[in-house]
Amino acid sequence: MSKRTSEAARARIAAQREAYRKQERRRRLTMVVTVGVVAVVAVGIGWWSIAQSKSEEVAGNLSPIGLQSDGTVVMAKPGVTSPVVDVYEDFQCPACRQMEETSGPTLKNLATEGKAKVVYHMITIFGQEPAKSNSLRASSAARCIPDGDKWLAFHEKLYENQPSETATGFTLDQLVKWGKEVGVTDSGFESCVREQRNVAAHQEFSNKILGEKKIQGTPTVMVNGKPLDSNTSFVPSALRDAIVNAAKG
Amino acid sequence: MVQLASDAHASDRLPSAQGPLPWVTTAARLVLGVVLIVAGALKVGAPATSVQAVRAYEMLPESLVQIVGHGLPAVEIVIGALLVLGLLTRVVGVISGLVMAAFVVGIASAWARGLRIDCGCFGGGGQLADGQDPNYFWDLLRDFGLLACAAWIVAKPPGRLALDSALGLTGSPAPDDDEDDGSADADDSSSENGRQGEIS
Repeated sequence: MSKRTSEAARARIAAQREAYRKQERRRRLTMVVTVGVVAVVAVGIGWWSIAQSKSEEVAGNLSPIGLQSDGTVVMAKPGVTSPVVDVYEDFQCPACRQMEETSGPTLKNLATEGKAKVVYHMITIFGQEPAKSNSLRASSAARCIPDGDKWLAFHEKLYENQPSETATGFTLDQLVKWGKEVGVTDSGFESCVREQRNVAAHQEFSNKILGEKKIQGTPTVMVNGKPLDSNTSFVPSALRDAIVNAAKG
Repeated sequence: MVQLASDAHASDRLPSAQGPLPWVTTAARLVLGVVLIVAGALKVGAPATSVQAVRAYEMLPESLVQIVGHGLPAVEIVIGALLVLGLLTRVVGVISGLVMAAFVVGIASAWARGLRIDCGCFGGGGQLADGQDPNYFWDLLRDFGLLACAAWIVAKPPGRLALDSALGLTGSPAPDDDEDDGSADADDSSSENGRQGEIS
């Protein structure tokens, strides 16, 4: 009797084990399928995110660029007066560098296509050292370049070489060197940079902008005076749509 | 008999897993999951700002800044959704806990180094204008709270209303395993007893 009991028990155990193994196999399959689906979804989201925010390539010759007496720089095809795209940025601000890398080509293309008048306003958003002085040196040096094309090249050069906010950078030597590298041949350029001739004018301009325009931070992009949020200004396709739609409206 | 006793023991154990505690896990999953989904969704459309927010911490080399900046929003959305669904709960709990811990370290480090940045937790991020102050304290408090949610989820997965339970992915196999072994041992010993009985 005890033997039969134990045989029955063994059979039951074997059946249980078999059932358990099956359950375990099913569990493992479900797990693999789930992980696979999750991985595909994650990659899909990442791919979509990158694809829909791709930067444009700069196409064709840039439209004329001119330094204005107030220190702003206008990039527009002759005769194009609207929509006005005001870009407020600081050479020392990392987000401005990111926006130029991401959306800069779109702004250039829209100006080239005659679909926008782009106005660059270089300001100093920083109140702390050494970032503040870095920004002041850089923006006043840029004002020493009257040629618009070279100004824009210098503008890009500075972003490429942007120092950390917590370190002294944009030294006078560097600014002179980079100016020459982008093709500034003007004999007055070096002394203008070294004597920091435009610091006062730049600071006055910057304070005026910060006071009047209620700039919350840099970069700020305004289309016909209305600020865009960063989900638009940092997404080239959205930025293009916003500006083209402003032209229609 | 022994088997029965072990069955009774197993069913004894079941009610202790009921009661309010699994609902706490569900609540933790929903809170953490929804916060992650929102945080990811606000960033996923503008990866350049996300990259910039990561860079503003000045903690990672540029190559990693790009990877984290582009990848983080997708990761947040996916682990947030998995938490809400209760799918792969424990593993996802561990991952979200590590992510929250990384945020805590990042924000604390930015604070300690005197950086003046927005955490970029829900999009935006980067340098603050002069006159705007960082919210490091509240950011940290929130992330510690979310870290506690993650810890609870890891300790007591998957909670009520979890796909893990519906799909049979829940932690039950492990306890089942133990119980099977236990009953097998018990049966072995009973059969040994039987044999002994025969011999005697």
